[in-house]
Amino acid sequence: MFFHIILERNMQLHPRHFGRDLRDKLVAKLMKDVEGTCSGRHGFVVAITGIESVGKGLIRDGTGFVTFPVKYQCVVFRPFKGEILEAVVTMVNKMGFFAEAGPVQIFVSNHLIPDDMEFQSGDVPNYTTSDGSVKIQKESEVRLKIIGTRIDATEIFCIGTIKDDFLGVISDPGATS
Amino acid sequence: MSRQEEEEENAAELKIGDEFLKAKCLMNCEVSLILEHKYEQLQQMSEDPMNQVSQVFEKSQQYVKRFSRYKNPDAVRQVREILSRYQLAEFELCVLGNLCPETVEEAIAMVPSIKNRSRQLDDEAIEKMLNDLSLIKKFE
Repeated sequence: MFFHIILERNMQLHPRHFGRDLRDKLVAKLMKDVEGTCSGRHGFVVAITGIESVGKGLIRDGTGFVTFPVKYQCVVFRPFKGEILEAVVTMVNKMGFFAEAGPVQIFVSNHLIPDDMEFQSGDVPNYTTSDGSVKIQKESEVRLKIIGTRIDATEIFCIGTIKDDFLGVISDPGATS
Repeated sequence: MSRQEEEEENAAELKIGDEFLKAKCLMNCEVSLILEHKYEQLQQMSEDPMNQVSQVFEKSQQYVKRFSRYKNPDAVRQVREILSRYQLAEFELCVLGNLCPETVEEAIAMVPSIKNRSRQLDDEAIEKMLNDLSLIKKFE
C-alpha cells in the first residue's frame, strides 16, 4: 500500500552552501539522499512531496559541517502481510512465478498456485488450467495476497499466494491474441 | 517491542502498526496524480527528467498507471468522498478503491476487517457502497 507520511532526517551540509539558497540546497540534497531508498520500517521512499520544517542548524565540533533536522512529506510504498494487491508477472518457472507491485518483488511458489494449474515449459513458460481457460505467463496481471515479508536493511521481499477466493489472474496478455 | 509488532502484522485484521494505521493511505489513482505532478515539475527543471528519478519512482509510476481504476482527478476525489462516508479505516478505504470488488462477498474477502470490527457494516451498506463506486466508474 502507498502512504503519505511525514519523516524526519538530520541533514549535514557543508559550509560552502551557506547563503541565500541554503534551503534549496538542503532540499536538493534530501531528495538525492532519500528518494529511491528502502527501510524495513517505512518501506520504499517513492517521492518527496513537500518540506514541513527545517529546524535550527547545529555546528558539528571540529568539521564545520552543520546538521539541520528536516521534516518532509513523502509517498512511501510499504507491503504488509495479509494485504491483497494487484501485480504484474515478471518471470515464470517450475518453482513458481515472480511478480512486481511497484518497487516490490513478490514470489508465488507453485504450492501456492491452485492445484488445477500445471506448469508448461517452452518459449513462454506458464501455468495453465487443464481446460486451458486460465493462463499465467510473463506480463499477466494477477491479484495476490502477501503471506510473508522478508525485510532487510535496504530491501523488502514478499511471498504471496493466489490460492484463495477471488485471487488469481485478472488479465492475460495472450487472451486477446 | 518492534519485533513483536512485526510478527503480529496482519493487514486482514488491520494490524499494520500504529504509525501506518494513523497515516494517510493513498489509492493507486491518487499516487498516479501525485507522481505525474512531480514528474512534470522535474521536466520543467531539466531536459532529461527520466535521469533524475530513481528506479523506485519509475517502477511505482508504471505500476500505478497500470492499476489505476479511475483516471480523471474529479472521479478520484469522488471515490474517496464516497468511501469516507462508511467509517472505514484509511487502509480499508484504499484497498477497496484499488481493487473495486463487485460483490459483497468479494469485498469482505478483500477487506476482512470490515466485518470484524465493532462498527459492523452490514451487507446492505456494503452493497450500496459498491454500487456507488461502480457508478463513478460508469460515468467517468
